[in-house]
Amino acid sequence: MTAPVQPHYPHPSADDPRIMLDAQIGQYEQVPPYPPRTEREAEFYTLGDGEMFLNMGPQHPSTHGVLRVVLKINGEKVVDLDPVLGYLHRGVEKLCENSDYHHIISQIDPLEYVSSLFMEWAPVMAFEKLMDVQVPRRAEYIRVLTGELLRIASHALFQGWMALDLGGLTPILYSFIERDEIVEMLAAVTGQRMLFNYFRIGGVNGDLNHEFMSRLGDWMSRAAVQHEANIGLLNENEIFVRRMRDIGRVDRDTALRMGVTGPNIRAAGIPFDVRRAHPYSVYPELEFNVPVRGSNGGGDSLDRYLLRLDEVRESIRIIDQCLHEMPDGPVMARLPRLMRPRPGRAWAAVESPRGLFGTYVISDGTDQPFRFRIHDPSFVHLQLVGMLMKDNLIADTMAVMASLDPVMGGIDK
Amino acid sequence: MTTVPGMGLVHGMGLTLRRFFAPKATIMWPEQNADVAPRFRGRLQLLYDEYGTLKCETCFQCAQACPIECIDMGGVDTRGRFHVHWGPPETYGERREESAMRRAGRPVADAAFTRFDPMDVTPVTAIAEAHDFEPKDLLPMLEDIQAAYGYLPVAALKHLSRQTGAWYAFVYGAASSFKHLRFEPPTMPAAAPAGEGLRSAEAGYVSALGAALSGKAPA
Amino acid sequence: MTAITRSLGNVSTVGKVVIPLLVLILVVGPLVTVLLATVIGPWVVGVANSNLGILRFVVAITGILLFSIPAAFIIIYMELKVIAYMNLRVGPNRVLPAGAAHSVIAGLKVLTKEDFSPTSADKTVFTWAPVMVFLTAVMTFMVIPFGPGLVGAPLNIGLLYLFAVGGMTVVGLLLAGWSSFNKYSLLGGLRSAAQVVSYEIPLTLSVVGLILLAGTLSIDSIARQQAGWVWDWFVFRQPLGALIFFIAGVAEANRTPFDLTEADSEIVAGFATEYSGMRFGFLFFAEYVNVFIMSALIVTMFFGAWNAPVDINAVLGFFHLAPFWVYLQPGELGLGLLLVIAVAPLLVTLALSAPVYLLRDSMPAWKALVVGFILFNLLVIGALGLAAYIDWDWVAGLVWFMLKAFIFVFVFVWMRGTFPRVRIDQLMGFAWKWLLPAALLNLFITAFAIVILKSAGIH
Repeated sequence: MTAPVQPHYPHPSADDPRIMLDAQIGQYEQVPPYPPRTEREAEFYTLGDGEMFLNMGPQHPSTHGVLRVVLKINGEKVVDLDPVLGYLHRGVEKLCENSDYHHIISQIDPLEYVSSLFMEWAPVMAFEKLMDVQVPRRAEYIRVLTGELLRIASHALFQGWMALDLGGLTPILYSFIERDEIVEMLAAVTGQRMLFNYFRIGGVNGDLNHEFMSRLGDWMSRAAVQHEANIGLLNENEIFVRRMRDIGRVDRDTALRMGVTGPNIRAAGIPFDVRRAHPYSVYPELEFNVPVRGSNGGGDSLDRYLLRLDEVRESIRIIDQCLHEMPDGPVMARLPRLMRPRPGRAWAAVESPRGLFGTYVISDGTDQPFRFRIHDPSFVHLQLVGMLMKDNLIADTMAVMASLDPVMGGIDK
Repeated sequence: MTTVPGMGLVHGMGLTLRRFFAPKATIMWPEQNADVAPRFRGRLQLLYDEYGTLKCETCFQCAQACPIECIDMGGVDTRGRFHVHWGPPETYGERREESAMRRAGRPVADAAFTRFDPMDVTPVTAIAEAHDFEPKDLLPMLEDIQAAYGYLPVAALKHLSRQTGAWYAFVYGAASSFKHLRFEPPTMPAAAPAGEGLRSAEAGYVSALGAALSGKAPA
Repeated sequence: MTAITRSLGNVSTVGKVVIPLLVLILVVGPLVTVLLATVIGPWVVGVANSNLGILRFVVAITGILLFSIPAAFIIIYMELKVIAYMNLRVGPNRVLPAGAAHSVIAGLKVLTKEDFSPTSADKTVFTWAPVMVFLTAVMTFMVIPFGPGLVGAPLNIGLLYLFAVGGMTVVGLLLAGWSSFNKYSLLGGLRSAAQVVSYEIPLTLSVVGLILLAGTLSIDSIARQQAGWVWDWFVFRQPLGALIFFIAGVAEANRTPFDLTEADSEIVAGFATEYSGMRFGFLFFAEYVNVFIMSALIVTMFFGAWNAPVDINAVLGFFHLAPFWVYLQPGELGLGLLLVIAVAPLLVTLALSAPVYLLRDSMPAWKALVVGFILFNLLVIGALGLAAYIDWDWVAGLVWFMLKAFIFVFVFVWMRGTFPRVRIDQLMGFAWKWLLPAALLNLFITAFAIVILKSAGIH
């Protein structure tokens, strides 16, 4: 009777330098565990004297979702940093290419969950161009009305997150109260609070109803006052202002070179607004200003924060005009259920709360787009992070990142 | 920034103190429910029509469309039959693997359905083989099965689902959407729709509606 | 004996507990009492008399340990509720009315959680660091006078002891941050070291002017010097010192806007990142005990300690009145006192229940009587409390001290609900560029004023 022969499996970690053995625990693992792939990576992952890496995220209280930032720090000072993306990648573009034109609206809805209506608006506009659809004017007004409401909600949320990242507990709650009123209002007309799925090719899903209008009227009567009261908590606060001023300064040239759009470029002194630069919908008929700040050579975090507050005031103006000038009529163009546009391509961009949000569609004549591409502003803005945060303190990374207002859902697509 | 240093801080403290005494925004759930707009469509419930009948037609399209297969349907279908089980909820863990195997095109045993009457399913296997186990030929296969059995037994559908790798929901959905396919033996009368006896008010309502629409009493 | 066991077997479950207890109370109780009174009692008293200092210390430290945990619970609950109200939320509201026991239940939860430590942590240091943080916090309590005579150790160098022991907290925080084997913890620990050491200096310097004024380092004596009216409090003679002490105290206690050591949006939870279970509980309690200590210190130094804002004797003297309780001499009633004790409860209960019975139609008589009795009891408790307040100055002192201390705790919480956090360089710059010169200025002005006033003959 011989002992059964045990098959020999070599322990996989025996000579694999990437796996820490028990004996090695207690020493720092080498970062990165793989040989560097690019020159930049080799440079980044070489530590200088007194420097160390600090891995921030993907689970961290203030990285706005699942952004991971590897910081190279010297004491409290950030020497260099490396954002790592892709933790929220869902392949939205590919999902959209595999669904028909109506279905895309609901697929792209959760892309940037803070301002869903704008995510629907751009593809819907692109499809309307592709199919040569005339949208009823009432539908356009409803789109502008709901869109501007959501812009206020998004900026309110930005304000709260900004304060939370700087350690203030209270403003986020006030922001959520303000946002909650708006999303409840939109839920009354769209049927959902967050992923509205409201815009349709050739119009919107339903007309404004009594619940929406009564809530809107109630809210409009105190919106401006409430907004001013809420921002009074932070705008005059010395601690807040001193923490925001003169950090993360983006000058005009950088902003233009990096393709920054939206509030961030307007805070850098360039009055670029898609609603005015490439007018769409009924915006040419509406009267509103494009607020600009930081015109003397660029804007810092405080400018970006204040500019969004200015935009809220403008949005309230636009909503007021929409309510006064909204025409009667249908909210949906008469269209066939199944749409097979002629082969062609279309680009449409809207001014989302974060900047220029665009979609590019190529049709091959079937009921699904051949190619569908998304331009998300948050992704562009996140590229600034490396430039802005160098030689700042760890605490400033939060202030700068929050002031750029990225949403990871849009960045990772 | 105010001219006097520190005044901004004092203003902020004043605001929070005022809010301290202000009415609160919390909705005290569950004692108090949120005010939900009638148009709100995020309710997680099945709706009933005005006669108290379930509006769900058990077409399984939601279960088919659900990307993570979290929609579970079970119980009696609208026509009083028993076999509309997509899978019991306690087998979620198994079903995750099961569905992965199905998607990979491999036959999967369904533990949830073993209790149904044993019947000879070799004709089903033969039919599936004749169609090269191709899920796209579902309709011809179903027609052949009906020709072989005289109707579509549940076990045969299950077996077909296993053989072709198509979801049972898909097979059932296809079978239930064609008028010439039947689930009962031809000798048996077709099952009445669920809630049939409950619609005593319907006739009156329809006649009243017809009268209102046409302006005269219906025949 | 068997008869007793059999009859015991017949009684109910409650009886099985109650009957032995009755036997115990009726038979053993008197025996023990007699024994205590004759033999053990005098011995214990003798030993205690000869070791009065040790006994006082043991009683004081027990009292302080027993007090610190409920105080922390109350402050935690206060923080949850007050910040919630400022946020337009309701806050904890499920355990007891208004969620009053929420923090206690949370403390129990912390007790039952896994006591986890990271693989690579320095286990010994990791375990003892929270204990050190908590103990230094509690040790500071020893010299704080809660009322006249209500002080753990009446040291004549109380202030020195206070700053010496208070400065030791940072060692615990640093150890906690270092031993956790986590970069966030390390950053938190280093931040706390930098912050607490920097703010130690203005904190101490701001009090030096007060020490010059008071001429003593004994906290008890400083408290006694503030007796009288509101304007006798040191805050009106040292306003700048009080302001600096308050700001530096906020930083010392690691509270918003200086809570950089546990800045949750930057370094996840600072030194407490890797802690869980009761070790985290210790760190957490220590934070809130520190808040209370800082409020207590501010009150003691600058806001009149246990003294009431009104000099009651001066008021009575102004109206040529003796305190009214002087007129109340129950002994003079003689046998009538017994009558009063017997009849007064009955009469007062009836008097209090009568309006309840008459004004509410649906009220049955027995319910009205119960209500009346409860009201009577509240009245008696109030009267006894008033009597205690009047007769024992430590009760009055404790009431005023706690009231003022919790007002300052409220201010701490209020600031947390309002302010964002400062940056580390602003924090250090503020300490060294503003607070330290201001504290020195305060010191020089005070010294000059004292010298000038003394040379002018005004004392």
